[in-house]
Amino acid sequence: MLVAWKYRPRNTIIQRLDPRARLIFLACLFASFAVAQIWDIRLLFPLFVLSMVLYLLARIEWRDIKRAWTFFLIFIVVIVGVNALLSGRGGPMSVLQDTSPVLIQTPTLKIPGVNWTIHITITALRVFFAFTQMMRMFTMAILALPIPYTIDPSVYGVSFRRMGLPDKASFTMDLAFRFIPTLGRDFAITVDAQRARGYEMESLSGGIVSRLRRLAPLIVPVTMQAILTGEEVIDAMDLRAFGVRPRTWLRELHYERRDYVFIGLGVAILVISIILRWIGYGTFWAPDWIYHLTGK
Amino acid sequence: MNDSKLWEFKTRQVVYGAIGAALYGVLSWLTNVVPLPAAGNITFRPAVAVLIFFGAAFGPWVGLIAGLVGNILGDAISGFGFWWHWDVGNGIMGLIPGLAMLMIRDYRKPRDISIAVGFGIVGILVGMLFASVMEKLTGGIDWATAIGGYWVPASIGNTIVTVILLPILMVAYQAVVSRRGR
Repeated sequence: MLVAWKYRPRNTIIQRLDPRARLIFLACLFASFAVAQIWDIRLLFPLFVLSMVLYLLARIEWRDIKRAWTFFLIFIVVIVGVNALLSGRGGPMSVLQDTSPVLIQTPTLKIPGVNWTIHITITALRVFFAFTQMMRMFTMAILALPIPYTIDPSVYGVSFRRMGLPDKASFTMDLAFRFIPTLGRDFAITVDAQRARGYEMESLSGGIVSRLRRLAPLIVPVTMQAILTGEEVIDAMDLRAFGVRPRTWLRELHYERRDYVFIGLGVAILVISIILRWIGYGTFWAPDWIYHLTGK
Repeated sequence: MNDSKLWEFKTRQVVYGAIGAALYGVLSWLTNVVPLPAAGNITFRPAVAVLIFFGAAFGPWVGLIAGLVGNILGDAISGFGFWWHWDVGNGIMGLIPGLAMLMIRDYRKPRDISIAVGFGIVGILVGMLFASVMEKLTGGIDWATAIGGYWVPASIGNTIVTVILLPILMVAYQAVVSRRGR
């Protein structure tokens, strides 16, 4: 099978939680970062520890998740970290009003051809800001990372329905999750069929236009076959009067005490974050010693 | 084919929304390993043409669902996690070409193909702009990175894909429509 969900049942406390509780908790923490705009590392660090603990409790096998970790580390360190380090931008204005010692200063470098000049200055405050920024991103990433590995794809539909989404929207989610392996298999069959006709997938060379055109023999048959399958599914659903009355779901979800505790924790973090920002805490902070380092 | 109301949400929209999302997710996963030059976490996605096509052929709801849910699924399969602003941006990218659905009568006619491509490009520009601006507000990058490092490369890459692959998909779909007679 070309595509398979990396979910597998595990006897862990994370997977015993109701999926709705986990999605609500995730939404609360994302809102804490995005809405309350917490930048103080003294507040970020406990959230980082909490996220790490939850990640470890999920007990996801390394072979399943190593690709995701590679991506996150490259993205967070190279893109976010280096951007914060070199520009000092992307955070509160206090980072740009920088009076900390200069640690590294390059001579003016000229880029040949375009005649641009670069002058890299790295200050102590920017190093601390880059560290804070990476911790902030890392905390958000490891909160979301375990979701596809630890929530059964067959409960997404009922989860969204019980969280208040209409039947049709929830069923759309459910169907989408179910179609993934089918379409993955169709794609694999199409690749095999085209190869039998002499199509060489590995030699997609040439310019971008010719490369894209040569993808058409793979993308077009899969898309058209999916549309034809869709017509049959629509007929079957219409014959069963889909959408006429509220539907029932095979799996039922029931909150337990631990789910309420988990949701309560998420809501509490969100409320505290908003209150802290309201009364003036949570903006970017750097320790005093940053300003007294021996600079260049 | 296109006499249905633009914003209705019935069995057809449910099924094609789901199929569009699954297709976009699978095809995105297959190409998520090819990063765009100069861009941050943006990848080259021929699947965008499929998303725009689903919007133009089946309406704004289908386009929105295919982009929004499809991007969530594609990122989930790839192990990229959950990036809500890129999900919404992809949803917008599918929704806007959906507004052209009622203008398209014959999927082989150059005029109708041009309309779909035009709405698709507008969808790409607006959707990627939303995602890039939100990346700036939530991800901690500056405006130069948001525009120069995210919006511009994502928009150019997606536009190239759409201009080349969308007409091919539309011509192929006309054959399916003729054969099915609905």
